[in-house]
Amino acid sequence: MSLSAKLKYKFMKDYGAPALMSLQGLKRRRSRPTPSAFGPPLESNARLKEILTRHYYLSRFVPGVKKVAWVTSGAPVELLRVFDFYTIYPENHSALVGAKKQGAEYCGIAEGDSFSQDLCSYARIDLGHMLSGKSPAGKLPKPDLLFCSNNICQTVLYWYKAISQELDIPLIHFDAPFVSDRQSEADIRYMAQQLQDMIPILEQVSGNVFYMSDLEAVLKRSQDSSRTWGNILKAMQAKPAPMTIFDAFGHLAPIVSLRGLPVAQDYYNILAEEIDDRVSKGIGAIRDEKYRLIWDNIAIWYKVRYLATFFAERKMNFVTATYTNAWAETIDHLNIKDPWNSMARTYGQIILNNNLKHRLGLMRRMIDDFSVDGMVMHSTRSCKPYSVGQYDLRKAISTSLNLPSVIIDADIADERVWSEQQIQTRLEAFCESLEDTNRG
Amino acid sequence: MADLFFGGIDVGSLSTEAVIINSEEQVLAEVVLITGVNGSEAAQKALNQALELAELAQSQIAALTSTGYGRASVPFATGKTTEISCHGVGAHHLFPSTGTVIDVGGQDSKVIQIDDRGHMLDFSMNDKCAAGTGRFLEVMADRLELELDELSNPAYITGPSTPISSTCTVFAESEVISLLAKDTPREQIVNGLQRSIVNRIWSMVVSIGIHGEVTITGGVAKNQGLIKVLEEKLGQKLNVPKNPQTVGALGAALIAKRHHSDSTST
Amino acid sequence: MYPFDAIVYLQRDDHYKRSDLEQRAQIDAMSINDTKDKVLKIPDRSDYLRDQRRSGQEIMGVLPALYPRELLWAFNILPAEIWDPPGEILLANVHLQASICPIVKRGLEFILKSPEIINSGYLFPHTCDSLQNLGTQVKDLIGVPVPVYTFYNPKGEFNKASKRYYSEILFNLQKTLEKSHGLLSQNQLKAACELGHKIDIRRQMLHAALMEDRFDLSNREYFQLIRAAEYMQGQDYLDLLNHVEINEQIGVAPRARLLVTGILPPGDDILNFLDESRVRIVSEDLLSGSRRIPIVEMDQPDDPMEYLVERFFLLPPCSTKAGGLDKRLQYLKKLIAKSRCHGVLFNTVKFCEPELFDQHFLIKSMKVMGLPVLNLETELQPGLSGQEKTRIEAFLEMLDEGVPV
Repeated sequence: MSLSAKLKYKFMKDYGAPALMSLQGLKRRRSRPTPSAFGPPLESNARLKEILTRHYYLSRFVPGVKKVAWVTSGAPVELLRVFDFYTIYPENHSALVGAKKQGAEYCGIAEGDSFSQDLCSYARIDLGHMLSGKSPAGKLPKPDLLFCSNNICQTVLYWYKAISQELDIPLIHFDAPFVSDRQSEADIRYMAQQLQDMIPILEQVSGNVFYMSDLEAVLKRSQDSSRTWGNILKAMQAKPAPMTIFDAFGHLAPIVSLRGLPVAQDYYNILAEEIDDRVSKGIGAIRDEKYRLIWDNIAIWYKVRYLATFFAERKMNFVTATYTNAWAETIDHLNIKDPWNSMARTYGQIILNNNLKHRLGLMRRMIDDFSVDGMVMHSTRSCKPYSVGQYDLRKAISTSLNLPSVIIDADIADERVWSEQQIQTRLEAFCESLEDTNRG
Repeated sequence: MADLFFGGIDVGSLSTEAVIINSEEQVLAEVVLITGVNGSEAAQKALNQALELAELAQSQIAALTSTGYGRASVPFATGKTTEISCHGVGAHHLFPSTGTVIDVGGQDSKVIQIDDRGHMLDFSMNDKCAAGTGRFLEVMADRLELELDELSNPAYITGPSTPISSTCTVFAESEVISLLAKDTPREQIVNGLQRSIVNRIWSMVVSIGIHGEVTITGGVAKNQGLIKVLEEKLGQKLNVPKNPQTVGALGAALIAKRHHSDSTST
Repeated sequence: MYPFDAIVYLQRDDHYKRSDLEQRAQIDAMSINDTKDKVLKIPDRSDYLRDQRRSGQEIMGVLPALYPRELLWAFNILPAEIWDPPGEILLANVHLQASICPIVKRGLEFILKSPEIINSGYLFPHTCDSLQNLGTQVKDLIGVPVPVYTFYNPKGEFNKASKRYYSEILFNLQKTLEKSHGLLSQNQLKAACELGHKIDIRRQMLHAALMEDRFDLSNREYFQLIRAAEYMQGQDYLDLLNHVEINEQIGVAPRARLLVTGILPPGDDILNFLDESRVRIVSEDLLSGSRRIPIVEMDQPDDPMEYLVERFFLLPPCSTKAGGLDKRLQYLKKLIAKSRCHGVLFNTVKFCEPELFDQHFLIKSMKVMGLPVLNLETELQPGLSGQEKTRIEAFLEMLDEGVPV
């Protein structure tokens, strides 16, 4: 590791990046007036943008200073933090590409290299990025290590295998058995054993030594930020809700990709304070919140703004989502005194690795806790674990709770499968039924 | 010694073509007809017209190869070969330095890699979906109330384009409808469609690779706008045959000749 | 339910010896009637299962793909595998989106019809994201009148932790089945493993013979034979395999030799078309086929549970287990060399993510090797479309150019 690279990284971290961020902040503040249906925007938005831009910007100066790991959103990243890896989240990056409406372009690059169009668009975008070196975030550092867990889907394992093969980089895989009924002792033992077996490889790749006390400190921070994030989401039970789930899709980024770092903890403390303040003053995310909705599945990144406006104009606010909740739901299983087994419980039982009975129960509770009036399900081509079973989930919820609901067929990041005509008609019909139900 | 003549018939889903060549591989007649509902009838009709043009009788044809979607329904053919091989051979005959052939047909599009003898080395074909085929353009032209030929109108070649993001023909159609409802100029939509179809073909081109000169065949090659967009993407000129539709039938006739000489020499 | 012990099993063996003779006599009689036809009598799937059920056999519906069949046999359960039940998909469309793989859809369609032959429940081995969710969807949301079992298969590169884990979940499955099917005796399990072992060895021999052109079965017959393992009793199936004659001599050289890889073999119409075109499939790397047979000849089972664990880890590289790509390529290269194939047919099920990901790397590597590749995508519908026919014919024309005669 060269001294000059280290110095450059340190300089950029302390001076270069903040200077750049303040410039960008000036530029941004002038754009995009808020449509009248919305309440005042969150002040934390600016800080969020700063953190994320800085994270991507700094990543350019990382090679030679820190080892870089590409990580899946559900992987136990705490273990990597102990070894001081600089982590990049390709899923987060693909979502960013999707939000910039460049998904089709990147997917097209992967398809041109004969990846099938039927594959997950996060994967196609990332592979397109890997093949072309292009990124709207500038340039991402090449990984020294790939770290993935199939607790969110088996797809990520295939996707990371493809990268591992192409770039000839080691892949560490954390196999999390699907919870069909409840986790067995064998499941826990298996996962705990795998985590411990990773240590020598991580030591070797990073050149750093493992200390249990470091892991405990990281886990503590991780648990604190996840709990704070959980509390922020819980605050949306207030009427009117202080933010919309479309805001939360954005504010989710630090808990996914900076989890276990002080910056994430600091950020959620700031956000929590603002949210609490809004609740106490009765400030809503939309001006006139009449109906409260639940969102199921990953965001439709290229249509977040469209959907937010569509619903806000109809006095409808999304107050909860299974997606945003995923990074808070299982955190109480974490026990810092028993890290290996409790990480197995925390990471093994997240929503996408858990059965549909569990998901149904969770959604019913959320509908109740958040006084939800209607449900929008996004059935996404890309994500089978999230989408297979949605039709029956909807039926079970709609019939038992007499809740108006709608399913829209779309994709997380490939805008080519979006059919606005069809979807708009569907959503309008849903809104009409919601208004009718509440009128009658 | 009496000269020998060879025929090629390409029975496609939309049109049927017939080509007759002599032993010097010179084209004596080319015919293009609408296939209609009966492929074998269309084949016979096309052959008859070609014979008439070449002033020959059917008995004078030493060998005839059928190709295309309806290649099995040509009773008088002495052999049958897929249109993929035929387009490769035909394109090689017209432009001997061709390494990659792009054939955009009515129902299918293919990209074919050929060697310096015109033999196929690799090929890629669109999936079942009609996006990226002649049929896609036909559906869209219909929706825009334009004749297919009109898509080649210079007004539709230059100027701005509105992106059509849907890859599915059905979705793209509804996208076009909504664009029309928003009074988007037709030229912009047509330009957007040309780009969309090229994007579909493009992934096949990339997967096969660009090997030397690229020749485009099939009826859609008459569409100037599409050629232009494709050339922009390729970064090189395309070889466009005078009669892009009959390249398959020409290839079939050449294959008939080759098979004939193979069988008589052994 | 009373457990049937080793004595019962011996009696079954006797019975099979008898039926073996009977069957041979039948075949002899047939060969008199029709001398040129050495037809293998492969029982029809539905007929066979219906007969089994009628005779009181417990039958469990098993979804793809990897599961300990010997353990089920030992409980006297006949696994009836559900891969691609024919017919129109109607009921399943109410429960599944359009972009879900046809194996999942057809599987659900079959389950929703509440078939009477399945009386012992359904087993969902963990294969992919879609089947994983289908399992919980059927169990927790749709509901069926029979029990639903699941079985996780470890994923990724295997290590010590995976071996121990596999033996533990095998034991857990045993405990679960004991609740409904009575205690398992070690003798029964041993007998089942010994039977499975014989089948494996015979299958390995047949695959080797296929690569060497040493029998007269058509493509279609060969895959009917392979697929009969999906529904036949172990002993019946072993008898059937033993009936296949392996020739001493090498057969006539076909027009082209293909290796097929994917989940399922191509449909009957495609196989017939290949037969008509004198193209021979000389090796297979199919999930429903050789990917479920160990890559080496294993020793006689001693400790049956240990044997089953060992067996799982000796299965060939497979997309659904998601091990390293390079291992899979190396394995395929061996098959390619051994079978001296001229080209590779990827028979792809639409929307099958595990295969589609692996395929990208495999196809590219094969093209680099100069090996022609044909990729056929299927939704498991019967028939042979004009487009499929054109693709196959063009591929054969391409091979004709390059195949030394």
